[in-house]
Amino acid sequence: MAGDRESGPNRASLEAVAERLRAGGRLASGDAAVLAATPDLVALGALADDRRRALRGDRVTFVRVCEIDAVAGGAGQDRLPPRAGEVRLVGRPADIGAAVAETSRLRELAGPVPITGFALDDLVDLCRADAAAVREALGALREAGLARVAEARADAGDDPRWIELAVAEDLPVARLTVASADSDGLANARRIAAWGAAAASVRAFAPLPAVAGPRPSTGYDDLRRVALTRLVVDNIDSIQVDWRLYGPKLAQVALTFGADDVDAVSPIDALEHGWRRTPLEEITRNVSAAARVPIERNGRFEIGTARP
Amino acid sequence: MRGELEEIAAHLRGGGRLRAGEALDLYRHAPTHELGRLADAARAAKHPERIVTYIIDRNVNYTNVCVARCNFCAFYRPVGSGDGYVLGFDEIFAKIDETIEVGGVQLLLQGGHNPDLPLAWYEDLFRAVKHRYPTFRLHALSPPEVIHLSRLSQLPVRTVVERLIAAGLDSIPGGGAEILVDRVRRLLNCYGKATAGEWLDVMRAAHEAGLRTTATMMYGTVERPEERIEHLFRLRDLQDETGGFTAFIAWSYQPPHTELGGIEATGVDYLRTLAVARLVLDNFDNLQASWVTQGGKVGQLSLAFGANDMGSVMIEENVVRAAGAAYCMDEVEIVRNIENAGFVPKRRNMHYELLGDPIFRERPVPRMLELAVARTGELDAPPPEIARYPARSRAEKVRRTAR
Ligand code: SF4
Repeated sequence: MAGDRESGPNRASLEAVAERLRAGGRLASGDAAVLAATPDLVALGALADDRRRALRGDRVTFVRVCEIDAVAGGAGQDRLPPRAGEVRLVGRPADIGAAVAETSRLRELAGPVPITGFALDDLVDLCRADAAAVREALGALREAGLARVAEARADAGDDPRWIELAVAEDLPVARLTVASADSDGLANARRIAAWGAAAASVRAFAPLPAVAGPRPSTGYDDLRRVALTRLVVDNIDSIQVDWRLYGPKLAQVALTFGADDVDAVSPIDALEHGWRRTPLEEITRNVSAAARVPIERNGRFEIGTARP
Repeated sequence: MRGELEEIAAHLRGGGRLRAGEALDLYRHAPTHELGRLADAARAAKHPERIVTYIIDRNVNYTNVCVARCNFCAFYRPVGSGDGYVLGFDEIFAKIDETIEVGGVQLLLQGGHNPDLPLAWYEDLFRAVKHRYPTFRLHALSPPEVIHLSRLSQLPVRTVVERLIAAGLDSIPGGGAEILVDRVRRLLNCYGKATAGEWLDVMRAAHEAGLRTTATMMYGTVERPEERIEHLFRLRDLQDETGGFTAFIAWSYQPPHTELGGIEATGVDYLRTLAVARLVLDNFDNLQASWVTQGGKVGQLSLAFGANDMGSVMIEENVVRAAGAAYCMDEVEIVRNIENAGFVPKRRNMHYELLGDPIFRERPVPRMLELAVARTGELDAPPPEIARYPARSRAEKVRRTAR
């Protein structure tokens, strides 16, 4: 079964990188480029999967998220889906006052369910990048009931000090996301890795863009990006994939290419199709079928029990 | 498992053939990447030039009226249903014209088991197509349709196949195989349309008559893993005997709107099933990616798990769509996906002969961003030529008298 998988110098370098990683070593400079250039997607995925297993075992966490538009608000809404593990305010608020008001309004509705919201770079921007104003805004949001800043965009800036400032204000960032469909996945991963301990408070990195570009990405593009991110980014616990945006099929396969956390599972049980097709059943079945153990978490990354 | 996996891998590398127990072990226990590696190596051994093929054709379903009533099918309508249709010859010609316009070379023509379409209807249609479009290929009538025609005309399968070939049939698609295990077929209510043995017998007869055919597997209904494996081994055995299969295509059962219901098998299951199929079917040259059921992304990933063909640039699709899935990829998209995965795209015909580079790079062709459907016009207007053939069903007789 001799194959055409790859031969010559690139194959040799890939094997050298693989050997080093298997022996517990870290990526050397230049290794990421070798990994990014390999056409052998399965070999890349296997390396990322080994890394994921070493970090997280066979656990895959997921969260059921109820999204509320931070701009339009949820005015008139008097209850939230009872199964949500996170209530998330999405979109750029008009100003910090509006963000605080919307968070306060949700506090009672959400009850014990953690409220997350906003993108850190939007908050920084609304405060004109003034550290004192950002600190004050984060404090006000925390007081209003915000448990986490929902995201910081990995491709929006080079400065991790805002993430550290959020930690100092006891309002850490939940996850890193990628805003632009055409930002370079390897460059994003390298930038985040270079932040070192400054990014360690962030629990998950979702490397696949949150918006589709004019030309949809391919399955190879997506999985290469997930696997590379897992291998390059060693300062963040989890690599996350969005269930709703990327769909069960691609998201499930991503769980075998280095991802171990699933975002944006629906909190609404669509019982009209029978219990086997509820979002909870769908996610647990898919995670189990990928030979992983599904564990539900909430917006604070507090975990429940393993789902059968 | 690691030790056993090493043993199986060594057995394959030494040129050994996979045994059923080994295939089942791989399917059940091998890490997904290991399966991918083995399947990719098997693919590469057969296709070291890194070519991935595709065909431009049109999947035309000439009727949705069917007496078989398989419980996994969302496409069929019972005889007499107001939603039932039969395409007219002119409608089929128009579809061929559109297909040729985008570089298409064949129709994949399949349909329900309609009691009011006798063998002569098919012969007349095939002759008319060949008269108008002499080089256009007809990849038509899966084994259960051939059996249906054999029963309807009370002629042996071999005679039906010979008559269809004489009328212009070029090859037979491998539909209707589902799982070639009779326990499963009984549960799916498709034992009556063709037993496992009957399906294989039609293919044997077709191969002996000089036709090439494809083989399929619809998995994810009620079968056990060992029955999936048995299906593959039955195909491998027949291929050893005749060598008549050009390709194998696995697709997952699409539950929405079916009587059977249930849930669809996952994407990882698809890739594992495909990889095991590549390893078992060591005498099949070609394995198609089923992006129609898996979507473009997992469809493309098939190329890393043993597939070497992206199937059809589908201009029209009705059966999977009836169950709710409606993925669409025109030639530009298929080629983009092949190249993005590091392969060289080539157009092919049904015999997997290379026809050339992408047609859109040779001349302008219209983009197809949406799948066409079988019929967009009025459903209650049967085509005029249908009156030339005797009605057999009570419903059709009543309809004709009423007009
Ligand atoms: S699968 Fe084919 S034979 Fe079965 S009911 Fe549907 S159209 Fe008829």
